[in-house]
This record gives sequence, C-alpha cells and structure tokens, in this order.
Amino acid sequence: MNEPMRRILIVLPMYGGSLPIGRYCGQALRILGHVVEYFEAPGFHSAFSALKTLRVGTDRLDYLENSLLQVVSQAVLAKVEAFAPDLVLAMAQAPLSRQALKRLQRDKVPTAMWFVEDHEVFPYWKAFAPLYDTFAVIQKGNFPACLSEVGQPNAFYLPLAADPSVHHPLSLSPLERRKYGSELSFVGAGYPNRRLAFRQLINYDLRIWGNDWDGEYLLTPFLQRNGQRIDTDEIVRIFNASTININLHSSVRPGTLIAGGDFVNPRTFELAACGAFQLVDRRTLLPELFTADELAVFDSMSGLLQAVEHYRANPEARAEIAARGRARVLAEHTYVHRMDTLMAHLQSLMPPKTGDPSWLEEIPSDLREDLDRLLAKLGLNPSASFQDVVCAVRGQGGRLGRLETAILFLDEWKKQYTPKRPEK
Amino acid sequence: MQREAAGTLPGPRARYLVIQLARFGDLIQTKRLLVSLMACGEVHLLVDRSLTALARLAFPGVRVHGISAHGTHGPAILGLVHDDLQELQAHQFHRIYNLNYSGLNFALASLFPVDQVRGYRLAHGQRVVDAWPAQVMRWTKVRTTRGLNLVDVWGLYADQPVEPERVNPAASAGGIGLGVVMAGQNARRSLPPRLLAPLVHAASKRIGHGPILFLGAGAERRAAAELRAALPGSLRGAVRDLVGKTSWADLFEVVGGLGLLLSPDTGTMHLAAHLGVPVMAFFLSSAWCHETGPYGTGHLVLQAMATCAPCLETGSCPNGVLCRNVFSEPGLLRYVSGQDVAQFPPHVAAMASTVDSLGVCFRPDAGIDPFMEERQSFRAAVARIAGIPGPAPCSVPLDESWIQERDWMLPQTLRGRANE
Repeated sequence: MNEPMRRILIVLPMYGGSLPIGRYCGQALRILGHVVEYFEAPGFHSAFSALKTLRVGTDRLDYLENSLLQVVSQAVLAKVEAFAPDLVLAMAQAPLSRQALKRLQRDKVPTAMWFVEDHEVFPYWKAFAPLYDTFAVIQKGNFPACLSEVGQPNAFYLPLAADPSVHHPLSLSPLERRKYGSELSFVGAGYPNRRLAFRQLINYDLRIWGNDWDGEYLLTPFLQRNGQRIDTDEIVRIFNASTININLHSSVRPGTLIAGGDFVNPRTFELAACGAFQLVDRRTLLPELFTADELAVFDSMSGLLQAVEHYRANPEARAEIAARGRARVLAEHTYVHRMDTLMAHLQSLMPPKTGDPSWLEEIPSDLREDLDRLLAKLGLNPSASFQDVVCAVRGQGGRLGRLETAILFLDEWKKQYTPKRPEK
Repeated sequence: MQREAAGTLPGPRARYLVIQLARFGDLIQTKRLLVSLMACGEVHLLVDRSLTALARLAFPGVRVHGISAHGTHGPAILGLVHDDLQELQAHQFHRIYNLNYSGLNFALASLFPVDQVRGYRLAHGQRVVDAWPAQVMRWTKVRTTRGLNLVDVWGLYADQPVEPERVNPAASAGGIGLGVVMAGQNARRSLPPRLLAPLVHAASKRIGHGPILFLGAGAERRAAAELRAALPGSLRGAVRDLVGKTSWADLFEVVGGLGLLLSPDTGTMHLAAHLGVPVMAFFLSSAWCHETGPYGTGHLVLQAMATCAPCLETGSCPNGVLCRNVFSEPGLLRYVSGQDVAQFPPHVAAMASTVDSLGVCFRPDAGIDPFMEERQSFRAAVARIAGIPGPAPCSVPLDESWIQERDWMLPQTLRGRANE
C-alpha cells in the first residue's frame, strides 16, 4: 500500500442494502492497513420502529423522528470527537443530519458518501450531496452533471463489488444442496418487474427467496420461507447450490420487465465471486466490468427463456463462464479494489499524516516480538503510529492481553503527564 | 436495591483485587473496603510502586502489588507496566474493585473480564462508571448539605462492609508530644507559618508536655524553618524538625507515638486515624470534614464555615482565601488550648468525629453546623441505597435534586452499591 495508514470512521445506515456493503468496506480498509471503526447505526433502528407504534398524529410522529435523528447525529459527532478520524465514510442512508455534516465541514473533518443507490429512484441525494467533500456513485450518464449543479463537483464513479471472504465457492453436502438448491433460483425483493418476469418461469424447478413478495399468488408456491429475509450466509449457500441464478435488476416502472438501466447491482459481483452461474439482464455499465465470456447476459424476456433452456443443458458452459467471472472479480472487483480507489481519490482531501512511528524504537527489545505479533493481529503495518495502535487496541472487544493493556495504560499516562496532545 | 443472590457470592477463599492508584491519603482511606474483603477471602492491592512499602506497613494481611503509574518513567513505562501486569495475571480474581476515576484505571480494567470489575470499567473501548460511584460523584455537586466520607464511599463497594467502628481504633491520647504536619498536597488547604504558629502554640498547651515534631515532605523544609521562627521562644527548643527525614517506617513509628497530631487534610492525618492517634485537623478552602475527615471516633476537625465553603480546589479564590483567617481568632485558639470558651467565633466550627451505622460523621463540639439535620436525612437516604441499616431521617425533608430522570428510566442506575 502506498498511501499512509489512515483512521476511518464508517457510518453505517440503520438498515437496508448499503448496511452489509458498509461492513465489507470496513473489512477491505482494514486489509489495506487502515484503522477502522464503525458507527453502529442499526442499534438505533428499534427506537425508530418503536416511534411508529405510537398511534399519534403524523405531525407529532414527524417531530419525534426528526428529534431522534438529531440525537443519533449527535452520537456520530461524539464518536468523531473521540476517534479523531482522518475520514468519515458514510454509506447511503447514513444517519448524518445536515447540521452534523456542516459541523464536520467546520471542523475540517473530511467526509465521503458512497451512494450505492439509483439516483432516479432515491432523489434525496440533492439535499445532502453538497455537504459531503466527496460523493462516490454507482452511476454515470448525467448524474455527475446533476451533482455538480447542486454543488457537489467532487463526484466520481465507484462501481459495486464483492467480498471474497464472504462470497466464495462452497463445498455443500447433499443435504445442503437439497435445502438450498434448485434449477432456477432468485434471491431478492419482489419488485414489479420481477413479479411479471418470474410468472413465466413457473414451469421450471424454481425457488424464490427474499421479502416483499406478498400478494403474488401465482408465485406463492415457489416462495421460500413465506418471504422472510435471508441472511448473507444462507444467500451464499443458495448461490452455490443453484444451477442457474437469475439476476434481474429491479425496476419500478410499470410494465417494464427488463429495466435496461446503467448501474450493476451487488448481486452480479457476489454471484460471480461465489463461482456461481448467473443469467443477468443487460446494463449499460456492464461491458466495462465484465466481458461477454465472463457473464451470461439477456436483453429480453424471450432472451431469458432461451438462455435458461440453453444453459440448463450445458453444465460445462456454465462452469467455464462462472470460473471466468470469478477470476475477473478477484482480479478487479473486490471491495479492497474499491476502497483502494476511494482512498487514492481522497488522498488530497486528507491532512498529511503526522504520526511518528519512532515510538517503536523505544520499545524494549524483549517486547518487540510480541508487539510485532500484536500489530499483525490488529492488521496494522509495522510503521503504525502509537495513536493508531491505541485506537485499534481500544476497538477490540472483551478482555485484553497484557501488552494491549500496557499500551492503553501508556496512552493514558501520556495524557496525564504530557502537556501536548498525543500525535495522530 | 438489587442485591446478589447468596448463591452467587464468592466462597470463603474468594480472591479480590483492589486497584488504588491515588496518593498516600487515598491509600489509607481504602481501609474499610480492604478490611471488609479480608473477612471474605484473599485480598490483593495494586498501588503505585512508590507506595508499596507504605501499603505493606498499613495492611499487613493484604498482598500488595506495585505498578509504575506515577512519576517520570518516560516511554520505558510500557515495558515496566508490561512486567508489572505479569504478576497480576498469574492470579484468578473473583472481583476487581477499580477505585479511581482516572484514565490509568480505565486502561487497567481492560485486563479483566468486564463483568468482574466494579467501579470504573472499559467495555468494548467504552468507559463505563458503575451506579455507585456515579451517584457519589453526583452527590458531591452539592457538598454543604451532603457528606459521605471517602472511607465509606470505598468501603460500601463491599457486599458485606464491616461496621464503621471496626475500621480504626478509637482515638486515645496514650502517646507523647505534638505532631505538626506542614502542608497538604493542595497549598490552599494549608496554613502559612504565621497562622499555623498560634495554632501550634495553643495545641501544645492542650497536651501540656512533650516534643513538637514537624512532619512533611522535603519541599516543606523552608516552611518548617519559618514556622519554628514564628513560634514563641519558649517552644522552639521543643521542636524536632523531621521534615523530609522520615521513611514510611519512620513515619509510622513517629505518628504512632504521638499524643496529638495537628494537620491539614493530609495522608499523615489519615495515618494517625488509622493508628488511633488523636487528630486535630484544620480544614479550610475545599477541605470538608464530612468527606475526608479523619476516620473513627475521638478526632476533632476545625472546619472553616465561610459561606463559600467548601469550594473547588481547581478554581481560583476570589476572596483571597479569607476562610483561613478564622484560625487566628482568639476564641478558637482558646478552644484549641483546652480552655472554656464563652463565645465561639463565627464562620468556624469544631467538629467531633463519631460513627453511625453508615460510617463516620462529624457533629459540632463547638460552633454551629447549620446543615446537620439535612445531612442526617441525606445519610439516611444513602443508607437505604447502600442497603444497610442507616440513621433515622430527621424532620428536615431530603434534598432530592440529585435524582435524575435517567435513574428512573434507564437500566443499571439507582441500584445502590451491589450493582450491575
């Protein structure tokens, strides 16, 4: 890694698709040698859910929700104050109010948003984009120009990706294959275009996993677990167990089966990383991410039906395409690649690192080996500053070892007996 | 208050660790907790390395460990502390009492399972203060009408605190001579030689005979010389200046043999109480006898009662420390010398120590304590929270402004000392 090690606070959303992506980003940044902490917004979600059970007037509910959001935003600011990050990376729907973002601007804390949503479906970005220093997006077209118009000139394209430590091939038992497998499978929410499309697949061995399929009577026999949400671990098993994974991007436009939009969804990368075979609908940004022999693509409903017929009878073709797709993801489309790009893009926004690794020279020789092991365990490079090590140690849960405790003790001792603030 | 079920209490050979990283006086004031725990099991005490000898002298039944907490160790402290912790890790402690609100204590807490630590803990990097010390901190925001001695604050961490009268021997004047402590750690709590000299003179009249022993740290040698010069010529010959000359063992021996110790709020004062030597303390500025007065029965504190007392030692005094002037009042000096006083001076009270079921308390022997009844109601409430029999509340209604909404609404508060 060429960039210096940074301290990064990832502000997770309270729920939704960008939540796991935020965690993958954190893991990737740690692999890159940065010190990462999360703002765990999901813990606050139940409080908002509780407000919705009050049966009060809508004005009152609005007021209460806004008030609670301010408290959560204040909690983010408190975390920033304590952790002193070099960068606050917010995922789409992160609970950072405009007031909080302005405060971070004032305090010169660099902020970045990875907006992993469709800007046409979720237009709220207009009010928030100008308040971030950088706005990473998964779309091209006129979106950068729109961002510039509302006051965000520093936007850049950052496509989604996969985390190979989560999304990878599995050796499944026969029992697991029976539990999770089928000839055709789909994992995801019941958007209108998917409902229409899948009605034409009911003559196959089809399984549909995921939520928001209620009221879809024709597909009810194929819906698994009554439409419950499926966790990531099981999704990976489903991907691995299915002969053909259908990957149809969502669309809310009435009557449209194949949306033909631009961005590529995370499922595309995740399925490929699993070495699973997928049929994915064509997207305008797909060709620059995968070649024609790395993914099997369809353009229409009839194309989907033809592809299903073709590939269900050709296991070798499926395996070859899946293997090439996985290799491409591992080579170019992991979250480590994305975070490397993000950090390179943000380098000029972050202050120069003033951390001094010379503290390591003062460590007694008999402790150096233990310390090296600790740095490796914490995912820190050997030139980590003392304060970065302290942050990483403090971020660990549970009972600490002797060396970790001694490091925290030294940090507190320095605060007590050294007049100047410790280096960052 | 929620108490632990009897079945979850550690057995008779339970092993406890008490972390006390503060100074001389605080170490001695940990006694009630240590004595209480010793009745239930093996007790270990972790102190700053400079205080290990003192701790071993004061608490012979306790296993004392040292850590390089304070002083100018520089970066070498990492290796020193790493070594110090090895000794602690060799033991399996059932419970750890972490007593000081300090970053060093929070850091040390991380060495132990979080649910075994009481007081100040670190849970997943978050500092957590238990309900009991959090309540105590809130009580100290209004100090005049409240008052819980620090020995009791720490003693009541124990599940079964020993009775207050079993902590220190009652003061008895069996020794010889007058000990004079030059200064406390906070200069504003001490008296300059010109004001201290008349007090020494009066106190020497009270005991009637014996030497006058000056005690203190090396930095106070000049003050000792000035005090000697300010004493009447007839007394100067009785002075033995031991300032800066005593080891911990010497101090134990010297203080233990005294007939009376005259002192501001100091570690030596607490040592005298620990040994049952009568104390006559002078408390001014931020010193408040109801919080840090000498523990046990039979001691006296001359407590400045200015309208601004007790103040905060961190803030500067806008009144030029006027409260120290009461110690030169002729009426007070007559009282100190043991004579009858027709009219005790205002803005000062002679507070005598005694114990109730909660702990040590101070009542006026001369002068007026306008908040005595309110404080008794407060102590009754504290005893209820602590889950021990307490003094009966008096008719003055309890000031309950310290109760916060979070006590009522959030978990893990207002559960008293046997919390979490």
